[in-house]
Amino acid sequence: MRIALLTSMLALATAAGAAPLRDPAQPPSAVRQAAQAQNRVRPASVGATLDAEAEAHLRASFDAADTARHGTLSRDEARAGGFGWIADHFDAIDTRHAGRVSFDDVRRYLKTRAASAAIR
Amino acid sequence: MVTFQSVLRIARSAAPAAMLAIVAACGGGGGDGNIDGSGSQYVDANHYSAAPAASLSTPNEATGVTHRTLTLATGTIAYTATAGHLTALDANQAPEASIFYVAYTADGAAAATRPVTFFFNGGPGSASVWLHLGSFAPRRLATGVPDTTQSVPFPYVDNAESLIDTSDLVFVDAVGTGLSEAIAPKTNQAFWGVDKDAAVLRDFIQRWLTVNGRAASPLFVFGESYGTTRVPVLARLLETAGQRVHGVVALSSIVDYNSNCSVSGGTPTLNCAGFLPSYAAVGDFWHVASAGTSDLDADIATVRSYADSTYKPDADAWLASGTLPPADHIASLVAFTGLSAANWQRQFDMNFDTFRHHLLTNTTLGVYDGRMSALVGTPLAADDDPSNTFVEPGFQSEIRALLPELGYTNPSTYVISSNAIATWDFSHAGRALPDVVPDLSAALALDPQMKILFLGGEHDLITPFHQTELDVARLGAGAPVALHFHPGGHMTYLDDHTRPLMKAELAAFYASATGAQ
Repeated sequence: MRIALLTSMLALATAAGAAPLRDPAQPPSAVRQAAQAQNRVRPASVGATLDAEAEAHLRASFDAADTARHGTLSRDEARAGGFGWIADHFDAIDTRHAGRVSFDDVRRYLKTRAASAAIR
Repeated sequence: MVTFQSVLRIARSAAPAAMLAIVAACGGGGGDGNIDGSGSQYVDANHYSAAPAASLSTPNEATGVTHRTLTLATGTIAYTATAGHLTALDANQAPEASIFYVAYTADGAAAATRPVTFFFNGGPGSASVWLHLGSFAPRRLATGVPDTTQSVPFPYVDNAESLIDTSDLVFVDAVGTGLSEAIAPKTNQAFWGVDKDAAVLRDFIQRWLTVNGRAASPLFVFGESYGTTRVPVLARLLETAGQRVHGVVALSSIVDYNSNCSVSGGTPTLNCAGFLPSYAAVGDFWHVASAGTSDLDADIATVRSYADSTYKPDADAWLASGTLPPADHIASLVAFTGLSAANWQRQFDMNFDTFRHHLLTNTTLGVYDGRMSALVGTPLAADDDPSNTFVEPGFQSEIRALLPELGYTNPSTYVISSNAIATWDFSHAGRALPDVVPDLSAALALDPQMKILFLGGEHDLITPFHQTELDVARLGAGAPVALHFHPGGHMTYLDDHTRPLMKAELAAFYASATGAQ
């Protein structure tokens, strides 16, 4: 009985034309091959390389928010551009009280904060 | 550009008067799921599609609402289940996608301190049905896994390990899965990529928090399988947007597609050392590993150490030149796993398919749970994964039965698996396949208070626990990361002995991440 039910449900799944999804499923072959070629020259990052890749994510978000290509963001521009974290930490980042912050200002703030956390 | 206000107008005008009458008539109704009768039902006339080009023109945000109680060892919790759609809005408040969710929220909790957790399965292309029906919701399916004797339909029972005593729980279907669909002019395909998927789910979470007055609640994201690729990106995007994430939970992880030899390698060109301790655990289970003892933890510690010190360089040498190691190394692998010397000699860098097809004679072992088996040619082996073939029908039938019980009725098929994988954009941060360890690192840089928990099953043969250990080690010794692995498969929570252990670890993690301990 149970096997009969299971078989009929399998038949339904087959009728729907869907092979069962594997999760995580194997990416298409061309993508895997491209990845393997890349990985030979770019191994998994650790240490300073990992830090640089993490920072690249933040820089990409900064650049996306900087639609005017000023290289700096005001508090409002940061918020409107999706980088609400900069807006929320704006006064601490904007140590020169310029009303605008660069990505270097953001980096400096992150490093200072990480250093003070390490001391604590 | 379509604004959100116009979406609301569309939704209202699209709701036929007859349907509103049904809502009113059913308002006080309720099956056994609706304890106090004060819920409401919603008949959603939309047709939802998981096709790549599908595009919804009439999104709505009405919900079915039911009220229940759950009695746990710590007391009785009254909760509300809410099932329906919410529109994710982009930065310009334009609608992107109509996201289906089921939320379980404790009644009368303080919004400022009550955590809320968003759950995502993976695929890509998988609905959140596995976590929703199998893990930590107030009710769960009793599968009896790894036994394969429970018949379908599986009993749907009160869940003594529910996380509802700790957090509100929102189970979310990604675009083009379940009943979630892109909103015109966008198509489902527009959200089928590592970055686009995470961005629209960020927008959904922010909208859900806003609509429900929960912006100040401690926020957790919980992913399984590809969901563990998804939630690190999501956590980074939320933190970037200024939304704190208190905790990231990754169950059965693939945080770097470039390191998993079986998923990304095909015929392996990646080193499979991360799989060896899982092969040993499965060999132990089937009593074919001669080096196995009755102490699984001790066996795993031995094999983990051997994998790192000996098997990894041996496999590198074999990959580079086809050179096999000395015979005593092969003998150790046979003793650790029970897999024959001939198999090791043929495919020394051992992928999961070779292992699970050849460990036992004429038998296929599960990809998701190597403790589950089927004789070749039997129905359970029909799709080459007894651990999936056994559980999927029960989950499929329950989600279809449950949604009407939760007050939400819709004529569309709830899509457990779409074919998003075929056209998914896997590229991320300049790589063809995603590595999201840098996303975790970036999120931690923005929010040093954020905490990360990795969970998984020792008998999972697709996202092996030691590979996760190796990937996570890249974050460094000081990272706020905890890892716990137990007997079980990919859907580790299905195991009745392991689920209580996971619940206790989750409770401790939430307490730590919210500063309650």
